[in-house]
Amino acid sequence: MNKVVSIDSAIGSNSMEAFDVERVRQDFPILKQMVYGKSLVFLDSGASAQKPQVVIDAVRECYETYYSNVHRGAHFLSQRCTDEYEKVRAEIADFINAPSENNVVITSSVTESINLVAQTWGRKFLKVGDEIIVSEMEHHANIVPWQMLETELGVKVRVAAIDDRGEFLLDEFRALLNPKTKLVAVTEVSNVLGTILPIKEIIQLAHAQGAKVLLDGAQGIVHQGVDVQDLDCDFYGFTGHKLYGPSGVGVLYGKPDVLNAMPPYQGGGDMIEKVSFSGTTFKEPPHRFEAGTPPIAQVIGLGAAIRYVAGLGMDNISAHELGLLAYATEKMNAIEGVQIVGQAKDKAAIISFLIEGTHPFDVAAVLDRQGVATRVGHHCAEPLMDRLGLVGTVRASFGLYNNSDDVDRLVAAIGKAKDLLL
Amino acid sequence: MNILSGQYEDYADALDMIDDEDMRFEYIIDIGKKVKDEDFPEPLRIDDHLMHGCMSRVWIIDEVRDNKHFFTGFSDAIIVKGLVAMMTTSFSGLTADELQEIGTEQVRRLNLGALTTQRQVGMMTMLETFKKLGSVGGGTVASLRTTGI
Repeated sequence: MNKVVSIDSAIGSNSMEAFDVERVRQDFPILKQMVYGKSLVFLDSGASAQKPQVVIDAVRECYETYYSNVHRGAHFLSQRCTDEYEKVRAEIADFINAPSENNVVITSSVTESINLVAQTWGRKFLKVGDEIIVSEMEHHANIVPWQMLETELGVKVRVAAIDDRGEFLLDEFRALLNPKTKLVAVTEVSNVLGTILPIKEIIQLAHAQGAKVLLDGAQGIVHQGVDVQDLDCDFYGFTGHKLYGPSGVGVLYGKPDVLNAMPPYQGGGDMIEKVSFSGTTFKEPPHRFEAGTPPIAQVIGLGAAIRYVAGLGMDNISAHELGLLAYATEKMNAIEGVQIVGQAKDKAAIISFLIEGTHPFDVAAVLDRQGVATRVGHHCAEPLMDRLGLVGTVRASFGLYNNSDDVDRLVAAIGKAKDLLL
Repeated sequence: MNILSGQYEDYADALDMIDDEDMRFEYIIDIGKKVKDEDFPEPLRIDDHLMHGCMSRVWIIDEVRDNKHFFTGFSDAIIVKGLVAMMTTSFSGLTADELQEIGTEQVRRLNLGALTTQRQVGMMTMLETFKKLGSVGGGTVASLRTTGI
Protein backbone atom coordinates (compact mmCIF):
# COMPACT_ATOMS: atom_id res chain seq x y z
CA MET A 1 0.00 0.00 0.00
CA ASN A 2 1.86 3.04 -1.20
CA LYS A 3 -0.37 6.02 -0.56
CA VAL A 4 1.94 8.71 -1.82
CA VAL A 5 0.04 10.62 -4.49
CA SER A 6 1.75 13.16 -6.69
CA ILE A 7 0.25 16.58 -7.28
CA ASP A 8 -0.15 15.84 -10.96
CA SER A 9 -2.23 12.76 -10.32
CA ALA A 10 -4.55 14.68 -8.02
CA ILE A 11 -5.28 17.48 -10.46
CA GLY A 12 -8.10 16.54 -12.70
CA SER A 13 -9.18 13.55 -10.68
CA ASN A 14 -12.75 13.33 -9.50
CA SER A 15 -11.68 12.70 -5.93
CA MET A 16 -12.69 16.22 -4.91
CA GLU A 17 -16.28 15.31 -5.66
CA ALA A 18 -16.02 11.97 -3.87
CA PHE A 19 -14.90 13.66 -0.67
CA ASP A 20 -17.66 15.84 0.74
CA VAL A 21 -15.64 18.44 2.60
CA GLU A 22 -18.69 20.49 3.56
CA ARG A 23 -20.15 17.51 5.37
CA VAL A 24 -16.78 16.80 6.96
CA ARG A 25 -16.53 20.38 8.23
CA GLN A 26 -19.74 19.86 10.18
CA ASP A 27 -17.90 17.27 12.26
CA PHE A 28 -15.52 19.92 13.67
CA PRO A 29 -17.33 22.22 16.07
CA ILE A 30 -14.37 24.58 16.50
CA LEU A 31 -14.53 25.58 12.85
CA LYS A 32 -17.91 27.23 13.36
CA GLN A 33 -16.52 30.02 15.50
CA MET A 34 -15.62 33.58 14.64
CA VAL A 35 -12.26 35.20 15.43
CA TYR A 36 -11.94 38.99 15.39
CA GLY A 37 -15.44 39.04 13.96
CA LYS A 38 -14.46 36.89 10.99
CA SER A 39 -15.16 33.23 10.35
CA LEU A 40 -12.17 31.10 11.25
CA VAL A 41 -9.89 29.77 8.52
CA PHE A 42 -7.68 27.23 10.21
CA LEU A 43 -4.46 26.60 8.29
CA ASP A 44 -2.29 25.43 11.17
CA SER A 45 -3.08 21.74 11.21
CA GLY A 46 0.59 20.95 10.71
CA ALA A 47 1.15 22.19 14.24
CA SER A 48 -1.92 20.51 15.67
CA ALA A 49 -5.12 19.46 13.98
CA GLN A 50 -8.63 20.21 15.20
CA LYS A 51 -10.78 17.45 16.65
CA PRO A 52 -13.94 15.96 15.20
CA GLN A 53 -16.95 15.58 17.49
CA VAL A 54 -16.45 11.80 17.65
CA VAL A 55 -13.05 12.29 19.28
CA ILE A 56 -14.40 14.83 21.76
CA ASP A 57 -17.28 12.46 22.53
CA ALA A 58 -15.02 9.45 22.95
CA VAL A 59 -12.83 11.24 25.49
CA ARG A 60 -15.86 12.55 27.35
CA GLU A 61 -17.54 9.15 27.32
CA CYS A 62 -14.40 7.58 28.74
CA TYR A 63 -14.31 10.02 31.63
CA GLU A 64 -18.07 9.89 32.17
CA THR A 65 -18.69 6.17 32.01
CA TYR A 66 -15.69 3.88 32.30
CA TYR A 67 -12.53 5.78 33.21
CA SER A 68 -10.18 3.98 35.54
CA ASN A 69 -6.51 3.12 35.60
CA VAL A 70 -5.67 0.36 33.15
CA HIS A 71 -4.01 -3.02 33.70
CA ARG A 72 -4.17 -5.07 36.89
CA GLY A 73 -7.32 -3.40 38.23
CA ALA A 74 -9.49 -5.75 40.26
CA HIS A 75 -12.78 -4.14 39.37
CA PHE A 76 -15.26 -3.70 36.56
CA LEU A 77 -14.27 -0.22 35.42
CA SER A 78 -10.60 -1.02 35.23
CA GLN A 79 -11.29 -4.11 33.16
CA ARG A 80 -13.58 -2.15 30.82
CA CYS A 81 -11.08 0.68 30.49
CA THR A 82 -8.23 -1.76 29.89
CA ASP A 83 -10.24 -3.49 27.19
CA GLU A 84 -11.01 -0.20 25.44
CA TYR A 85 -7.42 0.98 25.79
CA GLU A 86 -5.89 -2.22 24.40
CA LYS A 87 -8.48 -2.32 21.65
CA VAL A 88 -7.08 0.98 20.42
CA ARG A 89 -3.57 -0.46 20.38
CA ALA A 90 -4.87 -3.15 18.03
CA GLU A 91 -6.63 -0.52 15.92
CA ILE A 92 -3.41 1.47 15.64
CA ALA A 93 -1.60 -1.68 14.53
CA ASP A 94 -4.25 -2.26 11.91
CA PHE A 95 -4.18 1.37 10.75
CA ILE A 96 -0.43 1.37 10.13
CA ASN A 97 -0.42 -2.31 9.11
CA ALA A 98 1.92 -3.40 11.88
CA PRO A 99 2.30 -7.18 12.18
CA SER A 100 0.85 -7.13 15.69
CA GLU A 101 -0.30 -4.78 18.44
CA ASN A 102 2.87 -5.83 20.26
CA ASN A 103 4.77 -3.63 17.83
CA VAL A 104 2.86 -0.55 18.97
CA VAL A 105 4.37 1.36 21.87
CA ILE A 106 2.24 4.11 23.37
CA THR A 107 4.23 7.27 24.05
CA SER A 108 3.33 10.87 24.80
CA SER A 109 4.39 12.24 21.41
CA VAL A 110 6.53 11.56 18.38
CA THR A 111 9.25 13.47 20.21
CA GLU A 112 9.17 10.89 22.97
CA SER A 113 9.03 8.10 20.40
CA ILE A 114 12.30 9.31 18.86
CA ASN A 115 13.93 9.91 22.23
CA LEU A 116 12.90 6.41 23.28
CA VAL A 117 14.76 4.92 20.34
CA ALA A 118 17.78 7.13 20.97
CA GLN A 119 17.98 6.29 24.64
CA THR A 120 17.33 2.55 24.36
CA TRP A 121 18.32 1.22 20.94
CA GLY A 122 20.90 3.95 20.51
CA ARG A 123 22.62 3.45 23.84
CA LYS A 124 22.68 -0.31 23.44
CA PHE A 125 23.72 -0.64 19.83
CA LEU A 126 25.75 2.47 18.97
CA LYS A 127 29.39 3.02 19.80
CA VAL A 128 32.12 5.57 19.17
CA GLY A 129 32.54 6.30 15.47
CA ASP A 130 29.15 4.99 14.38
CA GLU A 131 27.17 7.30 12.16
CA ILE A 132 23.56 8.46 12.11
CA ILE A 133 22.21 10.17 9.01
CA VAL A 134 19.47 12.79 9.25
CA SER A 135 18.28 15.17 6.56
CA GLU A 136 18.56 18.94 6.36
CA MET A 137 14.78 19.08 6.61
CA GLU A 138 14.40 17.55 10.05
CA HIS A 139 12.35 18.93 12.89
CA HIS A 140 14.47 19.55 15.97
CA ALA A 141 12.85 16.47 17.53
CA ASN A 142 14.70 14.34 14.99
CA ILE A 143 18.02 16.15 15.39
CA VAL A 144 18.61 16.91 19.05
CA PRO A 145 18.14 13.36 20.43
CA TRP A 146 20.88 12.19 18.06
CA GLN A 147 23.12 15.14 18.91
CA MET A 148 22.76 14.14 22.55
CA LEU A 149 24.11 10.71 21.60
CA GLU A 150 26.97 12.41 19.77
CA THR A 151 27.97 14.00 23.05
CA GLU A 152 27.32 10.96 25.21
CA LEU A 153 28.54 8.12 22.99
CA GLY A 154 30.87 9.71 20.46
CA VAL A 155 28.71 8.82 17.49
CA LYS A 156 28.59 11.18 14.53
CA VAL A 157 25.50 12.80 13.06
CA ARG A 158 25.76 13.30 9.32
CA VAL A 159 23.39 15.40 7.26
CA ALA A 160 21.78 14.42 3.97
CA ALA A 161 21.43 17.46 1.75
CA ILE A 162 18.49 18.96 -0.09
CA ASP A 163 18.49 21.24 -3.11
CA ASP A 164 17.09 24.77 -3.29
CA ARG A 165 13.66 23.46 -4.24
CA GLY A 166 13.56 21.31 -1.12
CA GLU A 167 14.11 18.00 -2.88
CA PHE A 168 15.93 15.31 -0.95
CA LEU A 169 19.13 14.53 -2.87
CA LEU A 170 19.15 10.77 -3.12
CA ASP A 171 22.57 10.56 -4.78
CA GLU A 172 24.19 12.62 -2.06
CA PHE A 173 22.46 10.49 0.54
CA ARG A 174 23.80 7.38 -1.16
CA ALA A 175 27.29 8.83 -0.98
CA LEU A 176 26.95 9.39 2.76
CA LEU A 177 26.14 5.74 3.44
CA ASN A 178 29.09 3.63 4.57
CA PRO A 179 29.76 0.69 6.86
CA LYS A 180 29.75 3.02 9.87
CA THR A 181 26.16 4.08 9.15
CA LYS A 182 24.01 2.42 11.79
CA LEU A 183 20.86 4.51 11.61
CA VAL A 184 19.05 6.69 9.10
CA ALA A 185 16.53 8.93 10.87
CA VAL A 186 14.49 11.05 8.49
CA THR A 187 11.11 12.64 8.24
CA GLU A 188 8.54 11.22 5.87
CA VAL A 189 7.21 14.68 5.01
CA SER A 190 8.92 18.00 5.75
CA ASN A 191 6.90 20.00 8.26
CA VAL A 192 8.16 23.22 6.66
CA LEU A 193 8.42 22.56 2.93
CA GLY A 194 5.85 19.81 2.51
CA THR A 195 8.40 17.73 0.62
CA ILE A 196 7.51 14.04 0.51
CA LEU A 197 10.82 12.24 0.82
CA PRO A 198 11.63 9.20 -1.36
CA ILE A 199 11.23 6.99 1.68
CA LYS A 200 11.21 3.62 -0.03
CA GLU A 201 14.46 4.31 -1.80
CA ILE A 202 16.01 5.68 1.38
CA ILE A 203 15.02 2.57 3.30
CA GLN A 204 16.28 0.20 0.63
CA LEU A 205 19.62 1.98 0.40
CA ALA A 206 20.02 2.12 4.17
CA HIS A 207 19.15 -1.54 4.62
CA ALA A 208 21.58 -2.52 1.87
CA GLN A 209 24.25 -0.89 4.03
CA GLY A 210 23.00 -2.71 7.13
CA ALA A 211 21.59 0.42 8.78
CA LYS A 212 18.27 0.68 10.59
CA VAL A 213 15.73 3.31 9.53
CA LEU A 214 13.58 5.48 11.75
CA LEU A 215 10.84 7.55 10.13
CA ASP A 216 9.40 10.64 11.74
CA GLY A 217 5.83 10.23 10.57
CA ALA A 218 4.37 13.24 12.37
CA GLN A 219 3.42 14.93 9.11
CA GLY A 220 3.38 11.89 6.86
CA ILE A 221 0.68 9.76 8.40
CA VAL A 222 -1.88 12.57 8.48
CA HIS A 223 -1.61 13.35 4.79
CA GLN A 224 -1.10 9.96 3.23
CA GLY A 225 -1.45 7.21 5.83
CA VAL A 226 1.24 4.60 6.24
CA ASP A 227 1.94 0.92 5.75
CA VAL A 228 4.97 0.15 7.88
CA GLN A 229 5.41 -3.35 6.48
CA ASP A 230 5.27 -2.15 2.92
CA LEU A 231 7.81 0.55 3.71
CA ASP A 232 9.90 -1.96 5.68
CA CYS A 233 11.03 0.74 8.13
CA ASP A 234 12.48 -0.37 11.46
CA PHE A 235 10.87 2.41 13.49
CA TYR A 236 7.97 4.72 12.76
CA GLY A 237 6.85 7.46 15.11
CA PHE A 238 3.76 9.62 14.97
CA THR A 239 1.72 11.81 17.21
CA GLY A 240 -2.00 11.74 17.95
CA HIS A 241 -2.81 15.42 17.98
CA LYS A 242 -1.81 16.00 14.37
CA LEU A 243 -4.00 13.04 13.37
CA TYR A 244 -7.16 14.72 14.70
CA GLY A 245 -6.75 12.99 18.06
CA PRO A 246 -6.00 14.38 21.52
CA SER A 247 -2.69 15.89 22.51
CA GLY A 248 -0.46 13.97 24.89
CA VAL A 249 -0.37 10.68 23.02
CA GLY A 250 2.07 9.37 20.46
CA VAL A 251 3.08 6.05 18.97
CA LEU A 252 6.30 4.25 18.28
CA TYR A 253 6.16 1.32 15.90
CA GLY A 254 9.13 -1.01 15.94
CA LYS A 255 9.86 -4.22 14.12
CA PRO A 256 9.45 -7.21 16.45
CA ASP A 257 13.08 -8.28 16.51
CA VAL A 258 14.25 -4.71 16.99
CA LEU A 259 11.89 -3.98 19.89
CA ASN A 260 12.69 -7.33 21.53
CA ALA A 261 16.39 -6.48 21.55
CA MET A 262 15.89 -3.07 23.17
CA PRO A 263 16.29 -2.49 26.90
CA PRO A 264 13.60 -0.59 28.82
CA TYR A 265 13.26 3.17 28.46
CA GLN A 266 11.97 4.55 31.73
CA GLY A 267 11.62 2.49 34.90
CA GLY A 268 8.46 2.38 36.92
CA GLY A 269 5.13 0.67 37.30
CA ASP A 270 3.49 -1.31 34.51
CA MET A 271 6.74 -2.14 32.69
CA ILE A 272 8.04 -4.79 35.09
CA GLU A 273 7.42 -8.49 35.60
CA LYS A 274 8.80 -8.59 39.11
CA VAL A 275 10.59 -6.09 41.30
CA SER A 276 12.81 -7.03 44.19
CA PHE A 277 15.96 -5.63 45.74
CA SER A 278 17.79 -8.71 44.54
CA GLY A 279 16.82 -8.06 40.91
CA THR A 280 14.04 -6.76 38.71
CA THR A 281 12.71 -8.26 35.51
CA PHE A 282 10.85 -6.52 32.73
CA LYS A 283 7.83 -7.24 30.56
CA GLU A 284 8.01 -8.02 26.89
CA PRO A 285 7.44 -5.21 24.36
CA PRO A 286 5.46 -3.05 24.08
CA HIS A 287 4.75 -2.80 27.83
CA ARG A 288 8.46 -2.83 28.64
CA PHE A 289 8.60 0.70 27.24
CA GLU A 290 5.50 2.05 28.96
CA ALA A 291 6.36 2.90 32.55
CA GLY A 292 3.72 4.51 34.71
CA THR A 293 0.10 5.33 34.02
CA PRO A 294 -0.31 5.85 30.27
CA PRO A 295 -2.35 8.63 28.63
CA ILE A 296 -5.56 6.62 28.93
CA ALA A 297 -8.27 8.98 27.72
CA GLN A 298 -5.94 10.32 25.06
CA VAL A 299 -5.45 6.83 23.67
CA ILE A 300 -9.22 6.33 23.66
CA GLY A 301 -9.53 9.60 21.72
CA LEU A 302 -6.81 8.57 19.31
CA GLY A 303 -8.74 5.39 18.61
CA ALA A 304 -11.79 7.46 17.69
CA ALA A 305 -9.63 9.69 15.47
CA ILE A 306 -8.20 6.70 13.64
CA ARG A 307 -11.65 5.23 13.08
CA TYR A 308 -12.75 8.65 11.80
CA VAL A 309 -9.98 9.13 9.24
CA ALA A 310 -10.07 5.47 8.24
CA GLY A 311 -13.81 5.85 7.67
CA LEU A 312 -13.19 8.80 5.36
CA GLY A 313 -10.40 6.88 3.67
CA MET A 314 -6.79 8.02 3.70
CA ASP A 315 -6.67 7.92 -0.08
CA ASN A 316 -9.70 10.25 -0.24
CA ILE A 317 -8.17 12.58 2.33
CA SER A 318 -4.89 12.63 0.46
CA ALA A 319 -6.54 13.34 -2.88
CA HIS A 320 -8.67 16.11 -1.37
CA GLU A 321 -5.66 17.77 0.25
CA LEU A 322 -3.56 17.50 -2.88
CA GLY A 323 -6.35 19.14 -4.83
CA LEU A 324 -6.29 22.00 -2.32
CA LEU A 325 -2.50 22.16 -2.53
CA ALA A 326 -2.64 22.49 -6.30
CA TYR A 327 -5.35 25.15 -6.12
CA ALA A 328 -3.54 27.14 -3.43
CA THR A 329 -0.20 26.87 -5.21
CA GLU A 330 -1.71 28.17 -8.43
CA LYS A 331 -3.46 31.06 -6.68
CA MET A 332 -0.41 32.03 -4.62
CA ASN A 333 1.97 31.83 -7.56
CA ALA A 334 -0.26 34.38 -9.28
CA ILE A 335 0.26 36.94 -6.50
CA GLU A 336 3.12 39.30 -7.27
CA GLY A 337 5.81 39.20 -4.62
CA VAL A 338 4.76 35.89 -3.07
CA GLN A 339 7.50 33.30 -2.93
CA ILE A 340 6.56 29.72 -2.09
CA VAL A 341 9.40 28.15 -0.11
CA GLY A 342 9.56 24.50 -1.05
CA GLN A 343 8.92 23.53 -4.64
CA ALA A 344 9.49 19.80 -4.56
CA LYS A 345 7.72 17.70 -7.15
CA ASP A 346 5.98 15.54 -4.55
CA LYS A 347 4.51 17.58 -1.74
CA ALA A 348 1.94 17.17 0.98
CA ALA A 349 -0.53 19.99 1.63
CA ILE A 350 1.88 22.33 3.38
CA ILE A 351 2.85 25.69 1.90
CA SER A 352 5.57 27.85 3.38
CA PHE A 353 5.79 31.29 1.86
CA LEU A 354 7.19 34.78 2.07
CA ILE A 355 6.02 38.12 0.73
CA GLU A 356 8.84 40.13 -0.76
CA GLY A 357 9.67 43.21 1.30
CA THR A 358 7.89 42.02 4.43
CA HIS A 359 8.78 40.15 7.58
CA PRO A 360 6.99 36.80 7.98
CA PHE A 361 5.90 37.72 11.52
CA ASP A 362 4.13 40.79 10.19
CA VAL A 363 2.43 38.78 7.47
CA ALA A 364 1.21 36.14 9.90
CA ALA A 365 -0.09 38.85 12.24
CA VAL A 366 -2.11 40.49 9.47
CA LEU A 367 -3.42 37.09 8.35
CA ASP A 368 -4.46 36.40 11.92
CA ARG A 369 -6.44 39.65 12.06
CA GLN A 370 -8.23 38.44 8.92
CA GLY A 371 -9.23 35.27 10.74
CA VAL A 372 -6.65 33.15 8.93
CA ALA A 373 -4.62 31.04 11.36
CA THR A 374 -1.14 30.15 10.11
CA ARG A 375 2.19 29.51 11.81
CA VAL A 376 5.31 31.60 11.52
CA GLY A 377 8.96 31.24 12.41
CA HIS A 378 11.52 28.52 11.97
CA HIS A 379 8.97 25.77 12.64
CA CYS A 380 11.45 23.92 14.89
CA ALA A 381 13.71 23.46 11.87
CA GLU A 382 16.47 26.01 12.38
CA PRO A 383 19.09 24.08 10.38
CA LEU A 384 16.70 24.11 7.42
CA MET A 385 16.23 27.87 7.79
CA ASP A 386 20.02 28.27 7.85
CA ARG A 387 20.29 26.14 4.71
CA LEU A 388 17.72 28.32 2.95
CA GLY A 389 19.15 31.56 4.35
CA LEU A 390 15.85 32.55 5.95
CA VAL A 391 14.83 33.77 9.41
CA GLY A 392 11.50 32.06 9.05
CA THR A 393 8.48 31.52 6.86
CA VAL A 394 4.74 31.79 7.10
CA ARG A 395 3.30 28.29 6.88
CA ALA A 396 -0.18 27.39 5.75
CA SER A 397 -0.80 23.73 6.49
CA PHE A 398 -4.01 22.13 5.30
CA GLY A 399 -6.13 19.48 6.93
CA LEU A 400 -8.94 17.28 5.73
CA TYR A 401 -11.51 19.96 6.70
CA ASN A 402 -10.09 22.80 4.62
CA ASN A 403 -11.86 23.81 1.45
CA SER A 404 -11.32 26.08 -1.54
CA ASP A 405 -12.99 28.96 0.33
CA ASP A 406 -10.18 28.71 2.88
CA VAL A 407 -7.67 29.09 0.06
CA ASP A 408 -9.55 32.11 -1.29
CA ARG A 409 -9.59 33.68 2.18
CA LEU A 410 -5.85 33.05 2.51
CA VAL A 411 -5.22 34.69 -0.84
CA ALA A 412 -7.38 37.68 0.10
CA ALA A 413 -5.58 38.00 3.44
CA ILE A 414 -2.22 37.96 1.65
CA GLY A 415 -3.51 40.83 -0.47
CA LYS A 416 -4.48 42.69 2.70
CA ALA A 417 -1.02 42.05 4.16
CA LYS A 418 0.59 43.53 1.07
CA ASP A 419 -1.68 46.57 1.28
CA LEU A 420 -0.89 47.19 4.93
CA LEU A 421 2.77 46.32 5.08
CA LEU A 422 4.21 47.55 1.80
CA MET B 1 1.67 58.75 36.24
CA ASN B 2 2.70 62.27 35.31
CA ILE B 3 6.39 61.45 34.94
CA LEU B 4 5.65 59.84 31.59
CA SER B 5 6.27 61.75 28.41
CA GLY B 6 3.62 63.62 26.49
CA GLN B 7 4.27 61.15 23.69
CA TYR B 8 3.01 58.34 25.93
CA GLU B 9 -0.24 60.19 26.55
CA ASP B 10 -0.59 60.89 22.83
CA TYR B 11 -0.26 57.19 22.00
CA ALA B 12 -2.59 56.10 24.78
CA ASP B 13 -5.22 58.72 23.97
CA ALA B 14 -5.11 57.96 20.26
CA LEU B 15 -5.55 54.26 20.93
CA ASP B 16 -8.38 54.94 23.37
CA MET B 17 -10.19 56.95 20.73
CA ILE B 18 -9.99 54.19 18.12
CA ASP B 19 -12.82 51.82 18.96
CA ASP B 20 -12.10 49.24 16.27
CA GLU B 21 -9.46 46.63 17.06
CA ASP B 22 -8.41 46.25 13.43
CA MET B 23 -7.88 50.00 13.24
CA ARG B 24 -5.78 49.95 16.41
CA PHE B 25 -3.73 47.17 14.89
CA GLU B 26 -3.22 49.25 11.75
CA TYR B 27 -2.30 52.28 13.89
CA ILE B 28 0.62 50.30 15.32
CA ILE B 29 1.64 49.25 11.82
CA ASP B 30 1.58 52.90 10.73
CA ILE B 31 3.86 53.87 13.61
CA GLY B 32 6.21 51.07 12.59
CA LYS B 33 6.24 52.21 8.97
CA LYS B 34 7.26 55.70 10.06
CA VAL B 35 10.45 54.35 11.62
CA LYS B 36 13.12 54.59 8.94
CA ASP B 37 16.25 52.50 8.57
CA GLU B 38 18.39 55.58 9.09
CA ASP B 39 16.78 56.12 12.50
CA PHE B 40 18.70 53.10 13.72
CA PRO B 41 21.54 52.52 11.25
CA GLU B 42 22.76 49.06 10.35
CA PRO B 43 26.05 49.34 12.35
CA LEU B 44 23.96 49.62 15.52
CA ARG B 45 22.09 46.39 14.83
CA ILE B 46 24.59 44.20 16.59
CA ASP B 47 24.41 41.53 19.25
CA ASP B 48 25.38 44.05 21.96
CA HIS B 49 21.98 45.67 21.53
CA LEU B 50 19.94 42.60 20.62
CA MET B 51 17.21 41.37 22.95
CA HIS B 52 17.33 37.60 22.90
CA GLY B 53 14.23 35.47 22.92
CA CYS B 54 12.09 37.65 20.66
CA MET B 55 10.21 36.18 17.69
CA SER B 56 11.59 38.95 15.51
CA ARG B 57 14.87 40.74 16.13
CA VAL B 58 14.74 43.71 18.49
CA TRP B 59 17.63 46.05 19.25
CA ILE B 60 17.55 48.52 22.16
CA ILE B 61 20.07 51.23 23.07
CA ASP B 62 20.09 53.16 26.35
CA GLU B 63 21.81 56.57 26.45
CA VAL B 64 22.16 58.13 29.90
CA ARG B 65 22.20 61.92 30.12
CA ASP B 66 21.89 63.80 33.42
CA ASN B 67 20.98 60.50 35.10
CA LYS B 68 18.02 60.09 32.75
CA HIS B 69 17.65 57.14 30.39
CA PHE B 70 16.86 57.74 26.73
CA PHE B 71 15.97 54.61 24.80
CA THR B 72 16.04 54.05 21.08
CA GLY B 73 15.22 50.81 19.35
CA PHE B 74 14.54 48.97 16.13
CA SER B 75 13.14 45.72 14.80
CA ASP B 76 13.20 43.91 11.48
CA ALA B 77 9.40 43.48 11.64
CA ILE B 78 7.08 46.44 11.18
CA ILE B 79 4.57 45.67 13.92
CA VAL B 80 7.31 45.13 16.48
CA LYS B 81 9.06 48.23 15.14
CA GLY B 82 5.88 50.16 15.97
CA LEU B 83 5.74 48.69 19.45
CA VAL B 84 9.43 49.42 20.04
CA ALA B 85 8.89 53.02 18.91
CA MET B 86 5.95 53.41 21.28
CA MET B 87 7.84 51.89 24.19
CA THR B 88 11.12 53.74 23.70
CA THR B 89 9.58 57.18 23.19
CA SER B 90 7.03 56.69 25.96
CA PHE B 91 9.49 55.60 28.62
CA SER B 92 12.49 57.78 27.76
CA GLY B 93 13.72 60.71 29.85
CA LEU B 94 13.18 58.97 33.18
CA THR B 95 15.60 58.39 36.03
CA ALA B 96 16.35 54.92 37.28
CA ASP B 97 13.95 55.40 40.20
CA GLU B 98 11.21 56.67 37.91
CA LEU B 99 11.67 53.68 35.61
CA GLN B 100 11.10 51.35 38.55
CA GLU B 101 7.74 53.02 39.15
CA ILE B 102 6.37 52.07 35.74
CA GLY B 103 3.94 49.23 36.04
CA THR B 104 2.42 46.83 33.60
CA GLU B 105 -0.80 48.90 33.58
CA GLN B 106 1.07 51.74 31.86
CA VAL B 107 2.18 49.34 29.14
CA ARG B 108 -1.31 47.89 28.85
CA ARG B 109 -2.69 51.34 28.01
CA LEU B 110 -0.67 51.10 24.82
CA ASN B 111 -3.37 48.85 23.45
CA LEU B 112 -2.22 45.36 24.16
CA GLY B 113 -5.70 44.11 23.37
CA ALA B 114 -4.95 44.21 19.64
CA LEU B 115 -1.86 42.07 20.11
CA THR B 116 -1.20 38.40 20.50
CA THR B 117 -0.13 37.17 23.91
CA GLN B 118 3.36 36.61 22.61
CA ARG B 119 3.71 40.30 21.66
CA GLN B 120 2.18 41.40 24.94
CA VAL B 121 4.85 39.36 26.71
CA GLY B 122 7.44 40.95 24.42
CA MET B 123 6.37 44.44 25.46
CA MET B 124 6.54 43.50 29.14
CA THR B 125 10.01 42.05 28.54
CA MET B 126 11.01 45.33 26.94
CA LEU B 127 9.80 47.21 30.02
CA GLU B 128 11.80 44.84 32.24
CA THR B 129 14.86 45.51 30.08
CA PHE B 130 14.40 49.29 30.54
CA LYS B 131 14.14 48.81 34.29
CA LYS B 132 17.21 46.59 34.44
CA LEU B 133 19.22 49.06 32.40
CA GLY B 134 18.05 51.75 34.79
CA SER B 135 19.06 49.73 37.84
CA VAL B 136 22.61 49.22 36.58
CA GLY B 137 23.01 52.82 35.41
CA GLY B 138 22.87 52.04 31.71
CA GLY B 139 24.98 49.88 29.43
CA THR B 140 24.18 47.48 26.66
CA VAL B 141 21.45 44.88 26.53
CA ALA B 142 24.21 42.30 26.20
CA SER B 143 25.75 43.45 29.48
CA LEU B 144 22.54 42.43 31.24
CA ARG B 145 22.95 38.96 29.83
CA THR B 146 26.57 38.68 30.92
CA THR B 147 25.85 39.92 34.42
CA GLY B 148 23.03 37.43 34.65
CA ILE B 149 20.52 40.01 35.83
